[in-house]
Amino acid sequence: MGKTSLEVVYRGIFQKTLARNICRAIVLAARKEGKVGIGFGRYGDSPERNGIPAKYFAVVADTQEELEENLAMYEADNVDVTVAVDDTLCKGVESWGWYGLQPINQLTKNTGTVLVTSVQGRSDLVRDIHTKDVPYNIGVVQGSTSFSGLWVYKDDHTDVRVLGAICKVCPEMVSLESMEEAILEQWNNPVKVDSARKSHDRIETRVVEPGEGNPEEPFSFDLPGWTTMEEALVVRNVEQGAGFRGGDGGYEPVRNPYFKKWSTRTMRPVVNFETCIKCTLCWLHCPDSCFDVTPDGLYDSNMESCCGCGVCEDVCPVPDCITMVNEAEFEGNLSQWEDWNTNKDGYNKWMTEIVEKQKTQEPRSHGFHHVGQYREEVGSVTDSRNVVEGL
Amino acid sequence: MTQMVDLPQVRGVKNIPIEEMFTSGHRTCQGCESALTMRLMVKAAGDRTIVTGSTGCMYVANTTYYTSPWVVPWMHTQLGSSGAAATGTAAGLKALMRKGKVKDEPINVISFCGDGGGIDMGLSGISASLTHPEYNHLVLLYDNESYANTDIQVSGSSPWGANSTFSPPGKVHRIMNTRWKKNMVGMLAAGHPDCRYLATSCGSYGLDMTNKLRRALTIGGPTFIHSIDPCPKGWDYDPKFSHELGMLAVETGLWVLYEIVDGELFLNGPSKAIAKGMKQRRPVEEYLSRQGRFAHFTEEDTKFVQSKVDDMWERWWGPGVIPINVKED
Repeated sequence: MGKTSLEVVYRGIFQKTLARNICRAIVLAARKEGKVGIGFGRYGDSPERNGIPAKYFAVVADTQEELEENLAMYEADNVDVTVAVDDTLCKGVESWGWYGLQPINQLTKNTGTVLVTSVQGRSDLVRDIHTKDVPYNIGVVQGSTSFSGLWVYKDDHTDVRVLGAICKVCPEMVSLESMEEAILEQWNNPVKVDSARKSHDRIETRVVEPGEGNPEEPFSFDLPGWTTMEEALVVRNVEQGAGFRGGDGGYEPVRNPYFKKWSTRTMRPVVNFETCIKCTLCWLHCPDSCFDVTPDGLYDSNMESCCGCGVCEDVCPVPDCITMVNEAEFEGNLSQWEDWNTNKDGYNKWMTEIVEKQKTQEPRSHGFHHVGQYREEVGSVTDSRNVVEGL
Repeated sequence: MTQMVDLPQVRGVKNIPIEEMFTSGHRTCQGCESALTMRLMVKAAGDRTIVTGSTGCMYVANTTYYTSPWVVPWMHTQLGSSGAAATGTAAGLKALMRKGKVKDEPINVISFCGDGGGIDMGLSGISASLTHPEYNHLVLLYDNESYANTDIQVSGSSPWGANSTFSPPGKVHRIMNTRWKKNMVGMLAAGHPDCRYLATSCGSYGLDMTNKLRRALTIGGPTFIHSIDPCPKGWDYDPKFSHELGMLAVETGLWVLYEIVDGELFLNGPSKAIAKGMKQRRPVEEYLSRQGRFAHFTEEDTKFVQSKVDDMWERWWGPGVIPINVKED
């Protein structure tokens, strides 16, 4: 008797359909076992913004009463399984209707499981995930992150592969047999059932001990409640910016201190300061004003506020001057310009290497480029990983 | 009339003001062009500016509970009231200055609205504001072609055939939004002969936009700018192409860059080059096929849009300005 619950942490809009598909299939499969359940998006995440982390929940219970009891909460206090459908979410989650950074495992219960879709290994991911004072398990559903937009869904079987893995790590929630039945009913595609079963058989988890992981304290803010607000509910503006790092030259805007936006980032711009022609375009077209202007007229992307949209790479007229590199390659949010300014040779070597490495990787797809693209991309997944044969 | 801020035209992209009046830490989507429009808007206007904004993404996503990315004073106004807020703020300032309650100094008044707030709900208010030549203010309409904040419902500005929450293509009816986008600047120009400045703009042309904003704020009286803002969420594309899609909208001729100054029409940028025959219009397919909201289009649909755009350029009075011509006997 009792209830089991699950959260899917996903990139807003890009993975909305994916998260819904996962939670919906769980509920439908649970019904086949005579249980009741519900899948729902977190209220505070709506309306969603592209890339900004959001959550979807699925709660399964034996009886209607138990289900209702658990629905009376704004957000579950703990879940049996946390699914992160993008591995860069392991660095923490700052949702747009919320304040401060939540560790990805914040809601994962004692001996619960964090499932991540990733091409990284479990230990690499644990390094990014904040420490927890109770043990939990981590498992990786191998594969690159599945992104698509609101209107065209990229059916690369990530949904069913996650579902298969969930049945393995939390069989109390729903069994593989009922899941297979539900998948077939939902998609009417036996190949998707195969994908789920293979993922179920392949998934392996390991225990993450208390204290293991990223020891940093996630940032948080204290904002006034309604009794302590200023008269007329005035919200203080941001101050005018000043010279770079408080000096005379350049310019550095003062930023809204209560929202950082970096947890939205899945790719990070890496700048080659040697080839920059100071044309201003990256700075001018950045919707997030994240470029600080250095005294020597260069543009240093502030990694606390960059959300990784990639417009700077697109507008930059110099080949390889700005390259978007997978966020998983980095730790911390330090200034690239400072790094370059203190050790030019060291920075240039690092930069060349990381840019070359990015070129050899499978490109991360951030939504729709052209008609027919998803079919091409799903085809390549079929070939390289032998996961979705038959498509 | 209140005094106007001295805002000289900017020559060259490198001379765009460095100061940020709308800064980081807003909760918009990755690659949000409307956020860029806000940023360029106040960058051009400078720090002696009051901004009011009607409900929409640029209210909800920017100023979530007790936080703000604005450096200049900003106030939220209701969905349909950007025009009334502009007139009211300008009139209030004028009265306070006349009575000596605030210092008589040059201050810009800008009121912005989205396409839902401006093209649908606030149309009458904007129209009214443009009939008051005694007040200096600008209404800026940022148009992402849907109610994007509330998850993409059709607005009067949504393009023909686009997928949206209210117009999902189905097996029987492929095209669910059968309405053509409203022609806002043409409509306002034709209906408000006292309005001295109206323009279209696009954030992909940052310098053009900066100078248009400065002309609007310094010419005197009420003015209006309509900016097209590619929206990665509702248009369904990879956010890094925001800038490129803005350019494509102009280069395919779907969006025409122009300004109407004291009743005279001037085309700008690529639109001018196209009109003069120095540049070819690109086929609209290049623009449509890049967006998920048009992924259901057949060849026939694309041809239809192309024919409508051809009409705009060949049969309208002024390319994309007014869909009327004098019939010759």
